[in-house]
Amino acid sequence: MTVFVARRLALLALSLLGASVLTFALLRLLPGDAATSVGGITADSAQLRAIRHDLGLDRPLLVQYWTWLTDVPTGDLGNSQLNGSSVTDELGEKLRVTGPLVLGALLLALAFAVPLGMLAAVRRERRDATVISVASQLGIALPTLWVGLLLILLFAVQTPLLPAQGFPVDGWADPGEAVRSLVLPTLTLALSEGAVLLRFVRSATLDVLHRDYLRTARAAGRTRTGALLRHGVRNAAGPVLSMLGVQVAALLVGAIVVEKVFTLPGVGSMLVADVGNRDLVKVQGEVMLLVAIVLFVGFLVDVAQRLIDPRLADVRRPEVSA
Amino acid sequence: MRRSALRIAAALALAGPVLAACGSGGTPTPGATGADTQPPAPADSALDPNATAKVRLVLEPTSLNLTTTAGVAVEQVLLDNVYQGLLRVDTNADNKIVPALATGFETSADGLTHTFHLTPGATFHDGSPVTAEDAAWSLQQVLAPGSKQPNAKSLATIANVAAPDQATVVITLKQRDTNLTWALTQRVGVVYKKGTDFTKLDAAENGTGPFKLDGWQRGSAITLVRNDAYQGAKAKVAKVVLSYIPDRNAANNAQATGQTDIETAAEATLLQPFTGNDKFTVLRGTTTDKYTLAINNAKAPLNNPAVRHAIRRAIDKDALIKTLGGAGVRLGGPIPTSDPGFQDLAAIDPHDAAAARKTLADAGVDNLKLTLKIPNIYPAAIGDVLVADLKEAGIELTVKQQEFTAWLSEVYTARDYDLSLVNHAEPHDIANFATPGYYFGYDNAQVRDWYAQAVAAPDERTRTDLLTRIGRRVTEDAAADWLFQAQTLTVVRKGVSGAPQHHTSSRLDLATIGITK
Repeated sequence: MTVFVARRLALLALSLLGASVLTFALLRLLPGDAATSVGGITADSAQLRAIRHDLGLDRPLLVQYWTWLTDVPTGDLGNSQLNGSSVTDELGEKLRVTGPLVLGALLLALAFAVPLGMLAAVRRERRDATVISVASQLGIALPTLWVGLLLILLFAVQTPLLPAQGFPVDGWADPGEAVRSLVLPTLTLALSEGAVLLRFVRSATLDVLHRDYLRTARAAGRTRTGALLRHGVRNAAGPVLSMLGVQVAALLVGAIVVEKVFTLPGVGSMLVADVGNRDLVKVQGEVMLLVAIVLFVGFLVDVAQRLIDPRLADVRRPEVSA
Repeated sequence: MRRSALRIAAALALAGPVLAACGSGGTPTPGATGADTQPPAPADSALDPNATAKVRLVLEPTSLNLTTTAGVAVEQVLLDNVYQGLLRVDTNADNKIVPALATGFETSADGLTHTFHLTPGATFHDGSPVTAEDAAWSLQQVLAPGSKQPNAKSLATIANVAAPDQATVVITLKQRDTNLTWALTQRVGVVYKKGTDFTKLDAAENGTGPFKLDGWQRGSAITLVRNDAYQGAKAKVAKVVLSYIPDRNAANNAQATGQTDIETAAEATLLQPFTGNDKFTVLRGTTTDKYTLAINNAKAPLNNPAVRHAIRRAIDKDALIKTLGGAGVRLGGPIPTSDPGFQDLAAIDPHDAAAARKTLADAGVDNLKLTLKIPNIYPAAIGDVLVADLKEAGIELTVKQQEFTAWLSEVYTARDYDLSLVNHAEPHDIANFATPGYYFGYDNAQVRDWYAQAVAAPDERTRTDLLTRIGRRVTEDAAADWLFQAQTLTVVRKGVSGAPQHHTSSRLDLATIGITK
């Protein structure tokens, strides 16, 4: 197990390095740079050159990359090219919005997707299961943007229960207000991601329902639910767990949309604004953070798989099968 | 103002389609949405001095440093409110130049010496008095060789700035410059305390205005608090929260549910929640936002004036304004209604698709295919209308939407375009047509000469007359097309008085806002 974890961690670091090269190179292909943003339409080409020099944009790309990369391990993601603020600090601030949003949506999605998905599988010929199935299909089909707008209309504008947009200016100073402004965004994100998850739980459960071990367990006197909970869940958890790993990436992408709909100052809206302003040092930091989260979740899923399913340990090259 | 700046960078997004009435020259159209005047402000005793005013803005600045970062977004927040110059403009009086840190000034008979008298009692936010030395030093920093301050060139005619005593600033010019006083109302005229480290302005301000900078929650809001030591009329609220809400629907929801008190740059087509609702007032204001269709004068076949005229004739501006919701006025020429030299030039190249087609045929141009580069912050409808209009004249138009930064790089800097559309929001920017290197690619020796004469004009009348001539000549040369001048709509909650109404995307005087107890 230790060797496995060490190998996976090494792979994670290597992937991050690869991602950093790709991010850095691809961003330089965009037309315009931070100097264009700073100069706007008042600067002539001589002034632009001077601004570019001040910002260090006229240094060779490799030097720029190396300077940035060597600071990353110390937790320093550089400074904004437009206002000099620390990227690490700002990401920290923004994570206080995006973190609760994504985690909340994940937990909420699990909370309704797992029981409802199992129910839909177990009672698949009954009417209630059909209702669940149709509802989840609908949840997948509806765009996140539209769900968000609908929720705002229903619970903020027509019935003013919750804020229509935004996050308190003083952040979490008043936790009640902060939570209230995250309710609708979290719900929006959870509904669309949960619907996908629900389908997966349902098919994974259906799969184990027909297995011999479940029939044997029932023959040994367990009820169907009892057999399912004792033997089925653990077996169904494997595929659902790998799906979860993928879903975290989907949640982060979904968060960008949700943050825009609700005007939330999170990592997603920060990323969109910084790409527009060509504040590329900030964009690098943001993309690296998102990539790191997705890779790290993938790593956790791999480890969890091994703990749930001991059979995986027997495979010779665990990092491939895992 | 050789090279006047058009700090559209921001205003475009801000203005959006804020169109609600068509008419000409900014005159109100009966029945159009929006009121032209607000009810008189209640007595100060009826206002809550401890109130917080919440204001919706569109485009967040990328920096709070006026000495480094171009664009109106930063000026909108900081000028008048946090920083001031010797002079400022009154947006409620067609941008008239009025006193700020100077009570007034005298000009010598030859027009080369301007003597300013400082406002007594003015102090910086750190408590130290504003001295003539501070003012002179600040201007000298703009003029210093190698200065990279945006628009530094607008002070290029200054030969010397002196402070003969603590309350007097004397500016000596190399040559007459009728643009000087205007330039001093802008960011280059801001008075900083002598010795201010301009690289630190993002982190700490020491302005002179009625508000102090309280905080910047990046991606969300900027907060200002009242400067209780201000020597002039103090701000009527204790705090202002400027919330950046780019999305128009979200902004409407915020205003309708009381999350904001004032919604600037409201969308003309989405005003239903506020019109005919006595809880809100919708104000209609003037702007200098010129939605300018640049035609690359330097590129064949657009270097042929006949082709440019044909393009202008093909476009139905009235229909375009209507499509966008109606809050705009026909402009016709390069000078907006509140700038010196304005005249209604809509009669030059009136809409006529058949005439446009014929002009093209006479010029021997057929099968014309053009590309329009337009930043994606503008409504896609503009591109759709232009494609349809030009098609009727036999021109095949392809619309390429792009990010504003990409536009800056490809069109503004590299001049790689046929047609381009941006909102040139800056007032007093006619100099762009007298600057041959500008991205329009327009160059007319007569216009350059007239402009030089206008800058050196001995009196206002001569200057205005020359500017009027330039406006007409530039239009007759079809240097560009001016689709419309936007009007700006501001939604104000009942109980809020003194809301900014005109030119809100570039100057936003917040000190007059009051909230009833």
